[in-house]
Amino acid sequence: MKVKDVPQDDEFLQPDGDVLLRDRTYALDDDGKYREIPSAGWAPKNEAIKFSWSNKSEEAQEIRKEVIAGKYSPIMYHMIRLLMTPRILADYTGLSKRKINKLCKPKHFASIKAEDLSHIADAMNISVEELTSID
Amino acid sequence: MEINFEHRHAAHCENGVVRNLLNFYGIKLSEPMVLGLGSGIFFSHMPFYRLHGMALTSFRYFPGSIFTRVTRALGIEVQWHKFKDPDKAMAKLDEVLAQGIPVGLRVGVYHLSYFPKEYRMHFNAHNLCVIGKEGDEYIVSDPIGMNKNRLSAENLKKVRFAQGTSPPEGRMYYIKSTEHYKPLTADMLYKATLKTCSGMLGIPFNMFGAKGIAYLAKRMRKWERLYGERGAAMNLAQVIRMLEEIGTGGAGFRFMYAAFLQEASEFLNKPEWNQLSMELTEVGDLWRDFSYHAARFFKKREGIILSYNDIADKLEVISARETEVFRKLENSIKRG
Repeated sequence: MKVKDVPQDDEFLQPDGDVLLRDRTYALDDDGKYREIPSAGWAPKNEAIKFSWSNKSEEAQEIRKEVIAGKYSPIMYHMIRLLMTPRILADYTGLSKRKINKLCKPKHFASIKAEDLSHIADAMNISVEELTSID
Repeated sequence: MEINFEHRHAAHCENGVVRNLLNFYGIKLSEPMVLGLGSGIFFSHMPFYRLHGMALTSFRYFPGSIFTRVTRALGIEVQWHKFKDPDKAMAKLDEVLAQGIPVGLRVGVYHLSYFPKEYRMHFNAHNLCVIGKEGDEYIVSDPIGMNKNRLSAENLKKVRFAQGTSPPEGRMYYIKSTEHYKPLTADMLYKATLKTCSGMLGIPFNMFGAKGIAYLAKRMRKWERLYGERGAAMNLAQVIRMLEEIGTGGAGFRFMYAAFLQEASEFLNKPEWNQLSMELTEVGDLWRDFSYHAARFFKKREGIILSYNDIADKLEVISARETEVFRKLENSIKRG
């Protein structure tokens, strides 16, 4: 790659602008010497990232319908939406994987302990109110 | 309290941390040199080892190997710690920091508060360096940021104990002493390069090294049948992310390693390595071409959309070219 071809396709909002996350691309200058050029991003990569997320959110929307239909609890919806799996949630919260799977069903979710609820919300980095609703 | 530590931006987190730590002790190496000396470039596609439920494709060695190899080659003593208890992990970090020693940490990015939310997946091999503490905040030098930044103790604790595939378990590392430091020599470079070549050419399983790329191509042809249209595209997206997402210097370290070969060719006065550097650059361009065409699966733009068979063909070409480059590199050392 040549220095002039280093892409600068910035598409994602950074929560802490001061850090200024950047790629650093190694590219050849006109004399055939390698230079380091900070790069804001590259479209194909950004598209791959967006594609993964839009797929996840489609999947989550399907689950959401089933939550409304009473098949799953809201935990299931947020778990899919936030890229979590029962295994990872279990590791973060200290609950068993079986327990997490149980809590994904409305019957068991109805009698969930406030403590477990806050642990799960904490692991997903959302508030308890968000976790119990599907808006 | 902040250690007088020069924060420098780098392409890859681990190389960057290693380079910045060495720089703190007065050892000046460039990032490509760290990659080359740490034999960091690699390829593997392991269908049985999963990240987000999909096969892991990797363009580098295991996390931590670059630090270990570089410091071992230069005769620098280092210290690693791993913890079960998060509070002990934080206490140890404070203790080492108080002695004025910058500390490298391995963290997960899922909860890392300054990352854009799109980058936050369960990826647990990010590296950053802690260089100070003020009140309840740590001063962090993350090599992929242009500037240093701050992170709350609570957040740092969470990312150090991230969960998922290969959790970091609070790992921390620092340089203990540079008493037996040996400056860079030609022998070190030859040894590290031979190691790189044996990783790329000599592992007798088809999923590792340059031939692993052909293996990925073979798997790719089956993806639509195995996972359906969406599943296949998800797998492809993951390959592109591993290839280009923050930290590889472009084309899965191929450009950075080419930069190393160029630097080494001057150091060793070996012009043929510069030639190999140019050849590897061409391979990097082929990788970029692959990503460009692959991205058309996700966003339908004008022009021809290739099939999985077509992009798999591209990978087979890359596999053959990489084998050739690393074979030549190996021969240039063995036949002197």
